Amino acid sequence: MKPEINIALLNAAQEIIGRFSPLIEDEYERSRLGSWGALVLISAMKFNDAASSLEKENKDVVDWLERVGKFNIKDLHSEGYVTGDTTIDQLDKNNQLLRNLLNRTVATLEENGELKVIGSAFDLMRSMHQRRKVSDLIGLLQQAES
Amino acid sequence: MSENLASLFQDYYCSLSNKNYSVDTVDRVFGGASRETYKIKLSDDSGNIEKLVLRLSQDSSLIETEQKTEYLAYSAFQNSQVPVPELIDMDESSERLGKPFMLMKELKGEAASPFTPDVYHPHEKDLGKQFWYILGQIASAQIDKKIFESLSSESKDPHWKQELDKWVKVIRDDSISIEPILEAGIRYLYRNPPEENDHQCLVHGDYRSGNFLYLENKVTGILDWEMAHIGNPLEDLAWALSPIWSWQDKQRPAYLISREEALTIWEESSKIQIDQDQLDWWEIFAAVKGMAIWISAGHEFKTGTNIDPINLFSAWIPGDIHLEVILDFLEAKL
Repeated sequence: MKPEINIALLNAAQEIIGRFSPLIEDEYERSRLGSWGALVLISAMKFNDAASSLEKENKDVVDWLERVGKFNIKDLHSEGYVTGDTTIDQLDKNNQLLRNLLNRTVATLEENGELKVIGSAFDLMRSMHQRRKVSDLIGLLQQAES
Repeated sequence: MSENLASLFQDYYCSLSNKNYSVDTVDRVFGGASRETYKIKLSDDSGNIEKLVLRLSQDSSLIETEQKTEYLAYSAFQNSQVPVPELIDMDESSERLGKPFMLMKELKGEAASPFTPDVYHPHEKDLGKQFWYILGQIASAQIDKKIFESLSSESKDPHWKQELDKWVKVIRDDSISIEPILEAGIRYLYRNPPEENDHQCLVHGDYRSGNFLYLENKVTGILDWEMAHIGNPLEDLAWALSPIWSWQDKQRPAYLISREEALTIWEESSKIQIDQDQLDWWEIFAAVKGMAIWISAGHEFKTGTNIDPINLFSAWIPGDIHLEVILDFLEAKL
């Protein structure tokens, strides 16, 4: 689709923040619309990478589980993991399944006191978090609002 | 809503004060997720102006809290070292204004966004000293016995467990995704409980940047006491210190003064010596409690119960930050 969806969202955010929001006299409603503009802006920034980020995150978790949790891809399929479907809905379902398995595996590692492996789980969790987080866009939101 | 509210409020306030008033303006304040807050300006027959703040319960509130809780907390600090608005009335029924409400006089001053660095410049030092001093005063205040009993829980569990159980239940009820970082944080807190402190105090429950009013270099009011309860004084301290309130300058909690200076002022004001291990526990707890609030916000938004953008913002940005805070703590403790 051209122009791309994220470009459409970016322009919509710009219009909401810069054009429509200042026209509203009621302070509450103006702030509320301004916030919508900021959230549309975040959506636009994350839109392009949404599917590929989920796919990469899922792959990283599968690799870790295979390495540490003694799971293999057959086990994952029996738990409901689906390969070959890269729609966001399916990637997200896989992601929830993997997060659950990761959580259960880390809980077991904690019970066994396997600190080194827990450290590798924290590394994985940090990379997952880094990939999906939006908090680094705070500065951008502040610029947009001002 | 505002026109209807203005009419209802005018009838109610004339009856309460036994005078004739007309409502000049009703302005809703943006940002609160637990109450609808309105600034109301009225004038009487002689042209005298009254400025009031009305807090209405929301149809959908992130965390269910009673008007009475906030009213009692404000009552506890009327005419004290802790600046709070003067209370006028409270009604837990919906008969008069359509919802339970609390009414108070408007204080001078403004509240800042907790996410804006340098928002207090050039008064951050003066404001910082007062902010942490007042928190120490809250921690050491002798609370009226009846208020203390009303805000105490009937549970015999230690305060840390009551609070942790409460917020974990919110997480279990409202989660729409599995967060392994959060789950690891919860397990850590249950595995490493803090000592139960003999010192019980009235905990504000949401003492932070953004929940106080200031006028230039003076803190003029501490607001938003709806999560007040009796508990451990370190709970408020840890919440106020949380890096989320100074994410772009973590060495200066609440974007005011340095952490070291803040802790010194708090200790002097409260006369309580801080145990670092205990404070660590409460700081991780603060992040877990924060996650419960942000998850609840996301749930409200996703289910369509309340699509105020503040709920989506809360789930995305603060939710992100508190997860990172939990992970930082867990790695440091490994």
